[in-house]
Amino acid sequence: MPAASDTTPLLPLEPARPAGAYLSEHTEEPATRRRSVVGDLREIVEEMRHCGDLVQQLTLRDIRIRYKQALLGFAWALLIPAAVVLAGMAVRVAMAYASGRHLDNSQLAGMAVKAVPWAFFVGCLNTGTASLVSNKQLVTKIYFPREVLPLSSVLAQTFDSLVGGVLITVLLPFLGVRASWQLLWVPVLLALLWLFALAVALFLSRANLFFRDVKYMVQVFLTFGIFVTPVILDAPMYGPRVAPIMMLNPVAPLLEGLRLAIVTHHGLLEPLAAPAGWPFWQPWHLAYSAAWAIGGLIAAAVLFHRSERRFAEVV
Amino acid sequence: MAAGTTNGTRVVFDGVWKKFRRGEHHDSLRDLLPATLKRLAGRGPSGRELGEGDFWAVRNLSFEVTPGQTLGIIGANGSGKSTTLKLLTRIYEPTRGHCAIHGRVGTLIEISAGFHGDLTGRENIFLQGAIMGMRSHEIVRRFDEIVEFSGIADFIDTPVKRYSSGMNARLGFAIAAHLEPEVLIIDEVLAVGDLKFQERAFGRIRDLARSGLPVVMVSHQLDRIAELCTDVIMLRDGQVAARGTADEVIPAYVGQVDAERAAIRSELIAFDALVLSAPTVRSGAPVTVVVEGRVTGDLDEHAEPLGIQVRSLRSGHPLFVTGSRRLGVPLGRRGPFTVEVTLQANLPPGDYLVEAGAQDSRTLQAFATAPSALLRVTDPGSFRGTVQLNASMRVVQSAPTTPAGD
Repeated sequence: MPAASDTTPLLPLEPARPAGAYLSEHTEEPATRRRSVVGDLREIVEEMRHCGDLVQQLTLRDIRIRYKQALLGFAWALLIPAAVVLAGMAVRVAMAYASGRHLDNSQLAGMAVKAVPWAFFVGCLNTGTASLVSNKQLVTKIYFPREVLPLSSVLAQTFDSLVGGVLITVLLPFLGVRASWQLLWVPVLLALLWLFALAVALFLSRANLFFRDVKYMVQVFLTFGIFVTPVILDAPMYGPRVAPIMMLNPVAPLLEGLRLAIVTHHGLLEPLAAPAGWPFWQPWHLAYSAAWAIGGLIAAAVLFHRSERRFAEVV
Repeated sequence: MAAGTTNGTRVVFDGVWKKFRRGEHHDSLRDLLPATLKRLAGRGPSGRELGEGDFWAVRNLSFEVTPGQTLGIIGANGSGKSTTLKLLTRIYEPTRGHCAIHGRVGTLIEISAGFHGDLTGRENIFLQGAIMGMRSHEIVRRFDEIVEFSGIADFIDTPVKRYSSGMNARLGFAIAAHLEPEVLIIDEVLAVGDLKFQERAFGRIRDLARSGLPVVMVSHQLDRIAELCTDVIMLRDGQVAARGTADEVIPAYVGQVDAERAAIRSELIAFDALVLSAPTVRSGAPVTVVVEGRVTGDLDEHAEPLGIQVRSLRSGHPLFVTGSRRLGVPLGRRGPFTVEVTLQANLPPGDYLVEAGAQDSRTLQAFATAPSALLRVTDPGSFRGTVQLNASMRVVQSAPTTPAGD
């Protein structure tokens, strides 16, 4: 039929009713909201206050599904730290043989106290990066503050690492590590590491939503990260030229700090020299890492918060 | 802001526009960098205007739903219904305008989206409940009710991946149905589970809707919309094509679907009005339809100038078709006409649409449609079935009534 024309009204439609139940239609736009960092942070805190139960349930879910239908079950929590320690022992044995020196227990203990936090950090990056995309079903269907997804993946990882942490704590006395007042640094260092891991998880989960290859970049980084972070080796072993650069990795001072506080009983507010005499630990290293952890978390959270309303369209 | 309270529970959609992009987003650094530079340089489209390849999924949509109102949103696929729902539920952010829900929202949308297959039904109730905004202690308190409503108590400790899709949906609905919302938003959720569960689910929605909450619902089941909604908006291309009561908008919507299917030669005949003698009629009783129109061209012998059709809103199928040509009523001269059609409403209770139209009787090609009207048929339950046969019953012979136990 050629007579079909777009101009002929197909139907005598009711005109839009301005009166009655509905608002009259208009195109007025509300004033653009000024965003401030403080305002955003307050919003995030306000939202998260109402999400306690949701965070708890999502964390429980992440923990449960990891241990359900799993061959290793709870042993998973120990696998990565154990693998790091074993690999580290192999490297240390080789180095000791090459230099003709004896491998002692304190070196082993120093490595073990760094292996579990490193495994925690690696786990956070892995699960945190995927946390938004792997919950696509939720992100596109149901509203809730999206921050809870990376947060609960970090919390689930924290639970895993606590298992490893308890084991290390039990083992340390057998490696000849004694208690000292410097142990008070441990909660501070772990808290900073946790905040930094959360910051990175927030940042990477958002980045991975926009660009899917971020996940693979993280894999590459994690594969080689252990060589540029003093986990298996201690920072002084890299020598006076490389060690200061290595300490610029925000994780490095935290791991080295743990070793110094637990194994060496060194007060972290005092500089410490390497055996060869050059100073490798400076008190500002601690402030440097703290700045990364806290500043990074604020920056990542604000960035995340400002773009989260677009997630459902992009994912 | 116009009508409505300032602090009560309500849904407000105020001049909302939503832009989407055809084709792909920036997917890599190579695309992102030039776009960012352009934006920084102040060129390229600003976020609120249409750029190349953009389109408006929702245009200038405004409505307000206050307690006691149930708003139905209808429209063809792609007309913007889902986008509107996602804007309402804060999943999308409006490009322009403002939308807000005042009050605790319960959404009957994607009722099992948060389920994880490896977790048991019990674990999933807590998870899904939390995702939908319930507090853990509320879930604990209503846990037994939820399990009972879902009807899958025996499988509550079985991983959800072993559930049938019906069980999955029933558990999801059971959780959503216990949300205690202040504002309810409903998507096409009634098509889950078996008939019995559907009835129970719809009963629950009816109770919630009639308890005075503001409700927004999207559905293709027009009879449900007709039954529940006090107000209906029809969307087309992201714009309001019609708004009003269900009686006003649903006929327009059904007619639109038909009219778009047919090419219409309105130069031959035009209809002005279609009026029912009563909007509600007892099953089996007569109802009169008055159609007014004008013959404006020369109708040939094959033209059916006035066809009458009764359509079920539940199924959308035509149940009865007749016309002036079939009935031998001459109607072909140029000029205005008024025709009265009397029908026996031999139909089961429900909502029906009475439509008029003109067509070519050989090709069945419609060339004009009239305004249609919604007819509600009621019955106190005197029969069951798909057609009213006007049964009457008379006792011819029977044993004399005696006291029981004789």
